[in-house]
Amino acid sequence: MMAADGILALAAPLLHALAFLVLSVAFPLRRLGRPAAYISILCAAGAFAAALLSARAHAGETISRLVWTWLPSDGGTLATVGVLADADSTMMLVLVALVALLVQVYSLGYLHDESAPALGRYYTYQSLFAFSMMALVLAPNFLQLFICWELVGLCSYLLIGFWYQRPAAARAALKAFWITKAGDVGFLIGIVLLWRHTGTFDLTEMRVLAENGAIPLAGLAVMTFCLYLGAVGKSAQFPLHIWLPDAMEGPTPVSALIHAATMVTAGVYMLHRTSWLFALTPEVLAIVAWVGAFTALLAAVLACVQNDIKRVLAYSTVSQLSYMMAAIGAGFSAAGFLHLLTHGVFKALLFLGAGAVIHAVGSNNLTDMGRLARRMPHTATVFTVGALSLAGLPLFAGFLSKEEILGAVLAGGFQVPFAMLILVAFLTAFYMFRVVFLAFFGAGAPAAAVARGAHAEAHVETVAEGAHAHEAPHAHEPPASMLLSLWLLALLSVAIGVYFTFVHPEAEFESPAWLMPLGVGSAVAGIALAWATYQRRAIDAATLAAAFGPIYRGALARFWIDDVFERAYLVVLLGFSRLIGWIDRYLVDGVLNVLSAWTVTAGDDLRTMQSGRAQDYVYGVAVGLLVLLLWVQFG
Amino acid sequence: MSADVLAFWSLAVVLVGSALAVVLTKNLFHAVLWLALALTGTAGVFLLLDAEFLAAVQLLLYAGGIVTIVVFAIVVTERLVGERISQTSRRIGAGAVVAAGLLLMLVRTIAQQRVPDARPEMAADLTRTIGETVLTRFVLPFELLAVLMLAGLMGAIYFARPDD
Amino acid sequence: MGLQAYLTLAAVVFCIGLFGVMTRRNTIGILLGIELMLNSVNINLVAFARYSGDVTGMVFTVFTICITVTEAALGLAIVILLFRIRRTVTADQLDLLKG
Repeated sequence: MMAADGILALAAPLLHALAFLVLSVAFPLRRLGRPAAYISILCAAGAFAAALLSARAHAGETISRLVWTWLPSDGGTLATVGVLADADSTMMLVLVALVALLVQVYSLGYLHDESAPALGRYYTYQSLFAFSMMALVLAPNFLQLFICWELVGLCSYLLIGFWYQRPAAARAALKAFWITKAGDVGFLIGIVLLWRHTGTFDLTEMRVLAENGAIPLAGLAVMTFCLYLGAVGKSAQFPLHIWLPDAMEGPTPVSALIHAATMVTAGVYMLHRTSWLFALTPEVLAIVAWVGAFTALLAAVLACVQNDIKRVLAYSTVSQLSYMMAAIGAGFSAAGFLHLLTHGVFKALLFLGAGAVIHAVGSNNLTDMGRLARRMPHTATVFTVGALSLAGLPLFAGFLSKEEILGAVLAGGFQVPFAMLILVAFLTAFYMFRVVFLAFFGAGAPAAAVARGAHAEAHVETVAEGAHAHEAPHAHEPPASMLLSLWLLALLSVAIGVYFTFVHPEAEFESPAWLMPLGVGSAVAGIALAWATYQRRAIDAATLAAAFGPIYRGALARFWIDDVFERAYLVVLLGFSRLIGWIDRYLVDGVLNVLSAWTVTAGDDLRTMQSGRAQDYVYGVAVGLLVLLLWVQFG
Repeated sequence: MSADVLAFWSLAVVLVGSALAVVLTKNLFHAVLWLALALTGTAGVFLLLDAEFLAAVQLLLYAGGIVTIVVFAIVVTERLVGERISQTSRRIGAGAVVAAGLLLMLVRTIAQQRVPDARPEMAADLTRTIGETVLTRFVLPFELLAVLMLAGLMGAIYFARPDD
Repeated sequence: MGLQAYLTLAAVVFCIGLFGVMTRRNTIGILLGIELMLNSVNINLVAFARYSGDVTGMVFTVFTICITVTEAALGLAIVILLFRIRRTVTADQLDLLKG
């Protein structure tokens, strides 16, 4: 029975792998475009069914572990591959399978205009990504985890750069790859150190060791910190968060799947899976919590000033991921994981909704939108549902999980991060409803002008007077395939929200009674502020911006973090390259040139020894004999 | 015993002195004469080593034969050149250093070896023993030697034959 | 007198001969040096034979003397031949071994 359950879980990634193999090998099929997409979607549907069934089978305490030996080493097995299916991993599996399936269906409409070969390529990457992500989720050991970790990174690179003809997309793909790779180096070092420390890659074996106290604590903090570095890169924690907003250059469904719901959560998921290990090193957990809270606040502030609808969502993702990190850092990883699941659903919904808007308007820019609710009522509805979920209002998906995180951080004894997170909750509601009001309702241009930023401030008054509400000329509801995905996710968000509003799971910690009203209250306050500013225009957005002068200007410049990285890149990498170049040119080449010159000169000199006179050779024989005798005597 | 020692040392002085003269003297003809003295000295050394037959062979073949041939060669070449051939040396310093170094190492090696100081008894008539050994045990090399000398003789004639 | 005295004497003569071979300009002078070297070898052979009580060394001396004489005859023939071809007996100018 257990083996059968494990195989059920295994089937999900393997179905995607099958789709990937078929599409990559049968390239004429791939170049047909739509048929390739249908194959991929079919496999994704099968995988979703398998994931659901396996989640049902593993809902309780059931754990299936199917492993095959992979790397034999003398006398044992160094590494295994397989699946470790339990309640958490199968829930994550369902999330991945669901979002992957919906995104694939959605993409059919979204990428309608793409050429057939490009569409086939897109679905091939999608299948590879889904396979890698599922194998990551089910990984029974660190090695498989790492390999899949890198695979999803590769897919992220490929899909961000899907429109590789656009320089910005190519640059963003490269940036994402490099920045996450910086974290992955730490991750790999951590894995290897941990293996040296415990002698195993296997999560189950390591957990047994950890729970029996058999892992020596000396040096463990360094290893867990290295593991955390991997999560910093993948889950976009400060200071490596800068790649995620740029990753929005990819197609929107990709952002929904990879950069909101699944891949970026891999870091959080990994920390959750190894929470028993991190529990041994509370100092690292404190770092996780503080960095998480700080990143959450930073990203939330940045989200408030973005004009690009996708960038708002991207910073929001960074912020929410940091929320989860904060909970894990506080020692209650289950709260973070719960938020991961709900966030995956409603953030995918938000991205897909944004995609529908972009699809309709033909622009990412909030200034090009406005009053879309009249033309796109479905999209407006589902997007608002997503925004409400993100704000964490009751009856919507983010409601309980957000409060759980706030409670967890407070229960962990982190008062300052808790305060920061409350502020983030307020800002989250504000920036989300800024988008909602600007894009779907709103009064149009004045708000748009403000959103253009500080440089446009002088411009504001002239535009504000008598400007007509801007409406996108050809905005229309998206096709059925996109709407289907949107509504399914919206209904799911509401269903989750309603469920958690009335059924509270058992909490691991005690939360004070004032916590929930405070959380909901700050969200409502944020919505109210956004409403007053962008809908009613009771508060002038420019005045609001001016009130936060330095912060506002800093946020517009992304707090110069990107500049610092760029400068560091220029100075460190280029300087290093120059140094290497100099060493190569003058030291390495110099040594070689001197050697070759010596060889030539020595050859010239030695040539004269070959005089052709027998006497000289006798001389040589005598000298040789002398040297031999000297060697025998003294050598 | 002291007579032996005296003989050895006087022979050694003669031998070494004449050998030095061979390699240092400028006059080629004198050098040949010094060589003849050195070879005679060697014959004396053979006598000291109880090898009367070898001393005789040395005198006859070497001192007689070789010196005659060399003198002959000198005369022939000088006549061809039409002038007196003088004997000069080059790189004396380097050659002396190498030769002296080699000598030093050889002597050092010899001094380190444990070699017998006493002479074992041998047959009273060594010449007879040598002759018997040559014609019994070493008869094949002996015959081959005859062939070699014949070949050398013919080769020398062939080389030195006048131009056709 | 022990064996060492004879060996040392032979070594001295050998090195003098070698010195001659290395430094003489005239090919005939070189041949004289070679004769000295071979002579010292003969001294060694006889001395070893006498001090080991084995007559074989003396037999070999007979052989070497014969071979040496042959060699001297041939060597001088070659010198004369070289002289005819190159019009010189100076070894410096005989660099036919040069590739």
